[in-house]
Amino acid sequence: MQGLSNASTGANPIGRILIATMATGFLALLIAAIAAAYAIRQDNRHSDWVVHTYRVETALVEARRLAEQQETARRGYMLAGSPAFLANFDRAHDALIPQLAELRRLTADNVRQHAPMRAVIQRLAELETVQRETNQLVQEGRGAEALRRFRADSGLQRMQKLREVFEAMAREERRLLARRDAEQMASRRTFSVVVGIAALLFALVTIVSFLTVRRYTRDLQQSRVALADLNATLEEQVKERTADLALANEEIQRFAYIVSHDLRSPLVNVMGFTAELSAATQPLSQLIDRAEAEAPHIVTEEARLAAREDLPEAIGFIRTSTAKMDRLINAILKLSREGRRVLAPEMIALDQLVEQITDSIRHVIDDRGVTLTIERPMPVIVSDRVALEQILSNLIENATKYRHPARAAEVHVSASQTPGRVIVAIRDNGRGIDPRDHQRIFDLFRRSGQQDQPGEGIGLAHVRALAYRLGGTISVESQLGEGATFFLSLPPTLSIEGA
Amino acid sequence: MNDHRSVGIVMIEDDEGHARLIEKNIRRAGILNDIRHFTDGTTALDFLFHAPDGPAKSGPSLVLLDLNLPDMSGTDILAKIKEEGSPLRRAPVVVLTTTDDKVEIQRCYDLGCNVYITKPVNYENFAQAIRQLGLFLSVIQVPEVEG
Repeated sequence: MQGLSNASTGANPIGRILIATMATGFLALLIAAIAAAYAIRQDNRHSDWVVHTYRVETALVEARRLAEQQETARRGYMLAGSPAFLANFDRAHDALIPQLAELRRLTADNVRQHAPMRAVIQRLAELETVQRETNQLVQEGRGAEALRRFRADSGLQRMQKLREVFEAMAREERRLLARRDAEQMASRRTFSVVVGIAALLFALVTIVSFLTVRRYTRDLQQSRVALADLNATLEEQVKERTADLALANEEIQRFAYIVSHDLRSPLVNVMGFTAELSAATQPLSQLIDRAEAEAPHIVTEEARLAAREDLPEAIGFIRTSTAKMDRLINAILKLSREGRRVLAPEMIALDQLVEQITDSIRHVIDDRGVTLTIERPMPVIVSDRVALEQILSNLIENATKYRHPARAAEVHVSASQTPGRVIVAIRDNGRGIDPRDHQRIFDLFRRSGQQDQPGEGIGLAHVRALAYRLGGTISVESQLGEGATFFLSLPPTLSIEGA
Repeated sequence: MNDHRSVGIVMIEDDEGHARLIEKNIRRAGILNDIRHFTDGTTALDFLFHAPDGPAKSGPSLVLLDLNLPDMSGTDILAKIKEEGSPLRRAPVVVLTTTDDKVEIQRCYDLGCNVYITKPVNYENFAQAIRQLGLFLSVIQVPEVEG
């Protein structure tokens, strides 16, 4: 039993644990998913920034190349005076303008690039002014003048400065990239930690739920084993209990038997000496008679009353009481003896048995003017004939006994069979029984209704005891003044095992 | 009986009232034999087998026996009287008791009891029975005790 109750009361905590672990598991999964989404977004943004940086660098390099090319074209034009150089110069210049605009746009987000950008544009503008002057001179055929100017102001320094600024801008971009790389690394580490924690949590949840399920399974297993054990020993336990019950029953029977005998013994004395007393009053009363006749003066009123009235009255009461006591003791004796009788099951045709009983009390039935009907067919039953006969004759006799004064008495006996049960119904149209007394009437020495019929309140107690012994039950349905129906329910086959 | 006085009646009955009623009614039946009354089994057995004036040593006797005794069961006394080799085994024993249990009655007859009488609670019947027992006692032959 222990395992069983454990499992049933332990089901709820286990269910709660499982739900809690599952919830935790889902939470861990959710956290991991959010972290992953966040990490992917971070990554994407970082990639964008990297691309941006490379674009800036490319733009820088391109701008620088174009600036260099422009300068190279000017110098070529100055040296060779070929118009192809001039065209080259213009092409480079035309390409450089949008390149610079692009670069400016790309670096617009970074405040630190604004100043160098402005410096680049300013220096390029200054350079262009100088370049255009020398180009103009070469065009006008004053190549020597241009070269002289070039020597004076070669633009080398200016070019150098420009390169440095470009360099600085590129460095700034790389610095940004490095910083973004570091940020990216940090965010990746955070992601790893979060995922790690989630994984740990998940593992924990898995272990907890696994253990819980295992414990639950073990409990279940244990209770199944307990149940199997219980099943196996059930038969034995029932036998044991039946034996115990039989023993207890026997004890009660013996007790009732001994008590009734020991009660009887003093009763013999009470009745015997009462009879002696009664016999003794006779000569006394005769003496009083004679004294009254011969010497009236010696007879006192008291003595006369005592001998003639008090003594016989007292003796009369003692006698009726002891007689009643004797009947009660005999009833107990009869019940206890009935309990000790060995039952002998045999095939009994109920209709024949009822017929036999009604025949045996025919004179009583006729005296009381009762119409008795037996409804056929009736089932055949295997039971103890003597006990069944006593039950039915008691019930039928009762049915004819407690008549209603206003109507002709009718008693109807019927029997029906349901699976596992045979029910005999004895219905009368008598005075009925108050529902409050339906239990009481089956108790020993208890009666119901007006006490106008002889009886000690033994019959139905006897009937119930017998019905129980036959493995049956007895019940009554009745309303006061509306007749009563007694139902005797019996097993179709009496099993004497353990009885 | 040829000689009334020679047959003693031994009454073993723990209830004084019953004993008195039995004695009264036996006397009313005209039986004048000596009646010895014992209220317990031990002294009764002692008297039966060992007393110099007891049945075993002198003279024939008849035993009236109650089965419910304080110190032993009446059937034990019955068995002792009737057992093989007992000097009293031929002495008539009348079991006079309240028990009318079939098994008990059978057991007493098996043990060799001569008459089994149930004490009726109804006094008239009781008195009648005892008086008839008295009449019975007045005619039965009681064997002599052996050596």
